Amino acid sequence: MTNKTLIMPAAVSTAGSAAGVETEAAPVRGRVVKSKLARDLLTFLMVFGPGLIVMVADNDAGAVSTYSQAGAQYGTHLLWIVLLLLPVCYFIQEMVVRLGIATGKGHAAMIYQRFGKWWGLFSLVDLQLVNFLTLVTEFAAINLALTKMGVDPRYGVPLAAACLVMLVATGSYRRWERIVVFLCLLDFAWFWIAFRLGPPIAQIVKHALVPTRPAGGITPDLMFLVIAIVGTTIAPWQLFFQQSCIADKRLRFADLKWARLDTFMGACVTVTAAVCMMVAGAASLTHGFRFTDPAQMAMDIGTFAGPVMRHLILLMMINAAVLGTTAISLSSAWAYGEVRGWPHSLQLPWREARGFYALYLISVAAAAGIVLIPRAPLQLIILGVQVLAGVILPSAIIFLQLLLNDKELLGEYANKPWNNWVNWTIIVVLFILSLVLAAQVTAPNLFRS
Amino acid sequence: MKTTKEQFVVVHPLDDVFEPKVDTEALGPMAMTRSVRFSLLSLRAYLILMVLLVVYHVVMLAR
Repeated sequence: MTNKTLIMPAAVSTAGSAAGVETEAAPVRGRVVKSKLARDLLTFLMVFGPGLIVMVADNDAGAVSTYSQAGAQYGTHLLWIVLLLLPVCYFIQEMVVRLGIATGKGHAAMIYQRFGKWWGLFSLVDLQLVNFLTLVTEFAAINLALTKMGVDPRYGVPLAAACLVMLVATGSYRRWERIVVFLCLLDFAWFWIAFRLGPPIAQIVKHALVPTRPAGGITPDLMFLVIAIVGTTIAPWQLFFQQSCIADKRLRFADLKWARLDTFMGACVTVTAAVCMMVAGAASLTHGFRFTDPAQMAMDIGTFAGPVMRHLILLMMINAAVLGTTAISLSSAWAYGEVRGWPHSLQLPWREARGFYALYLISVAAAAGIVLIPRAPLQLIILGVQVLAGVILPSAIIFLQLLLNDKELLGEYANKPWNNWVNWTIIVVLFILSLVLAAQVTAPNLFRS
Repeated sequence: MKTTKEQFVVVHPLDDVFEPKVDTEALGPMAMTRSVRFSLLSLRAYLILMVLLVVYHVVMLAR
């Protein structure tokens, strides 16, 4: 591979294709490589990003809390659920990839155009509501972790919010993507954390592959946690985020297989990190600690694994919240921009996409502000978020499923019969879980024996 | 694209010429059968009911 940059007049210069050079007025910048392997590798690296980001950002503050709680209460018994969610995550997001590449538009725009204004507005309101509440939980986690690290959240939270705004305001999609991919790669620290805590490997493998019932049997608490794990692994904002991200990056039809690989790798990374979070929780259980929140779990682990481990877990909590915040805020801003017809691209400078950036800024600033209000009902907000996300998710996937069966829209990229079987099964299971979750939270007495 | 023997040019999507996509605006709203329309209406009612239920529960808890 050479670093030589070629600037040429070309029309259809899809990366990696063996098409001949065709002329057109617009110049195209390309990199010259000398082998097919280098071509494929470089093409993948250029396409790589949206899949990894959406998956790793899904391991946000709420996910860190849920997975570590699962480990701290049930050891490694629930690992098989996380592993089961890997193909589910991939299948759902793969549909989004096809839709994004085929249409070059975001998910909100698709719902608006294909199902009409009323449904478009309905989906948008749902998304904005759940996203905003989720953002509050992200900043609540930053607040909590900073406090445990001895940093005054009155300064730390606004600073984090300011950094998050600066992250997108550079007018370059590539710059944003590179920084966020770097933050995603920091997630590998979870592997080191789990490894350093001396996990029981044989037990982990057994519990990951063979479903087992934890001591105490199937209780309402266990059911709630199982549903929370499912809810935190697949969230409605992910559909909107990845499709808009693909549209903003202008991925081409030839990029589809690389975008699929990106998504699959992201799913593997996120599920493995989730396993590590559960292992960390299980380690605190082994040492006799009772779980209250992930920041306290970091403090507990610090007592037997040292201060480095304590600070690392707290920093990873903040990293998870930062990744979640940028992805969720962008999904809100992209969706709103698409529906309102505003310019909505990270490639645009601030002055050319004021509405898009303003919405991102308002979301981040308002969520950070709420967290700083003394005695704000954060626990209630977290509870509300879990239930609302669980309720909205199946309907969001139904829209996705209908769009993916729209042959007029997708042609050869529409779902195959086996896709539909898999996806309808996922939808039915999610619907049942969402009903159980909603019933459990709204009428807890129903589940008490 | 292959420029000469054993030479390829790889172009970043953002540096490439704009690829034509499906004209979604020209397609208009999706044609739906009566059963699909009914299912979506049921879904709409379910969502409204569930959101109201959650809001009611959260408000009661906040009191």
